[in-house]
Amino acid sequence: MSDEPASLEGWAPGPADPATLAEIVERAFDYRGDVTVALDDGHQFEGYLFNRNRDVAEPFVQMFLRGEPEAATVPYARIREIRFTGKDTAAGNSYAAWRERRQAARVESGG
Amino acid sequence: MSVPISQMWTVASYVVRQRLRGRARYPLVLMLEPLFRCNLACAGCGKIQYPAHVLRKDLTVEQCLAAVEECGAPMVSIPGGEPLMYPEIGRLVRELVARRKYVYLCTNAILLKQRLQEGVFTPSKYLSFSVHMDGLREEHDEAVCREGVYDQAVEGIREALARGFRVTTNSTLFDGVNPVRMQMFFDEMMDLGVEGMMLSPGYSYSKAPDQEHFLRRQKTNEIFVKMLSNPKRRWRFNQSPLFLQFLMGKWDFDCTPWGMPAYNIFGWQRPCYLLQEGYASSFKELMESTRWEQYGHRSGNEKCKDCMVHCGYEATAVHTTFTSWKGLTAAARATLTGRL
Repeated sequence: MSDEPASLEGWAPGPADPATLAEIVERAFDYRGDVTVALDDGHQFEGYLFNRNRDVAEPFVQMFLRGEPEAATVPYARIREIRFTGKDTAAGNSYAAWRERRQAARVESGG
Repeated sequence: MSVPISQMWTVASYVVRQRLRGRARYPLVLMLEPLFRCNLACAGCGKIQYPAHVLRKDLTVEQCLAAVEECGAPMVSIPGGEPLMYPEIGRLVRELVARRKYVYLCTNAILLKQRLQEGVFTPSKYLSFSVHMDGLREEHDEAVCREGVYDQAVEGIREALARGFRVTTNSTLFDGVNPVRMQMFFDEMMDLGVEGMMLSPGYSYSKAPDQEHFLRRQKTNEIFVKMLSNPKRRWRFNQSPLFLQFLMGKWDFDCTPWGMPAYNIFGWQRPCYLLQEGYASSFKELMESTRWEQYGHRSGNEKCKDCMVHCGYEATAVHTTFTSWKGLTAAARATLTGRL
């Protein structure tokens, strides 16, 4: 659809310096899909990044990891890279698309 | 206006108490979202677009009650998501009623008849079902992107009224709304027997599928003037008359973003029910660390520029009513005469 906003789904900006990482975190916070976070020690995990705070002594992000009941808190300083690996749930279901589908169904049914 | 006297008294005395305590900022309604799951995907809604593992999460009743206690607001609105899909909705409502909180359970009413027949709820002056109705059948089914929902909602409303429950409606208005059709809708809701109606322009959620039909300020004023300039005596609105007058352009209010704070599985949403700029871990943190001056129409914040939504401005209207003679007399006049 031409009116769909561009999605970050699949975006993998690679390892980032602190300034760039802060921008990527903002994008991840705004993203309505899961992201994969890789840490400085090689560990990585996938989940929904729902919060971040840079206005504290040790900036952090908060995530709900798949299958984990409690939120995980990760310091910015430990993040090496963020990849937008999950489906963007805010993309692909536009109102215009629904109206087109409905109109087509009405024509088909003779309504 | 149709807000019961006991509820009006509770709110008025609460506002006066806050003023006497010197609290410049206080909450009026807690927007409590125990889940984000919904059985609809409405075009103007930006609340439900999350991965499945997030949508499966619920707040516990204990988390909800802790938030209610910490917040202290006299009214609790339970939106979502669809609260009738929350497994413990019956217990949550019972606990809130026991605490004498006025509860607005905001529902699309698809499951209302079923839940009532299951005996999940007991009628109380503290409990109102606030049924989402965006207009007559055609407009409503269009807004919720599914045909037949209007009829299901009407069936649920009838069942609730027959069982002695308080029922109100809440309608979100978008660009293209027909004021005459909305007036017909008001008649239909009054014929149905609902206690009162709530109206609000929609908010342009950045994640909502439909970005083209959100109202701008001047257009909002024009539509509400057309709809409400000559209101019928039988139309009852379950909201502040000053808020409706604001929507008609008769008051120049600014937003009270802390007036209806939102709590959900992510925490206390900053700064308001509509904008998601981060989360605080406690209500105290929300109130003390949010840069409130950066929000509201007069702040110049682009995201707030066109917003006239109830969750920011109804609290301003209520505050004005109970803290100024001009507000009090305007509200009294509207209540007594039915004129806005």
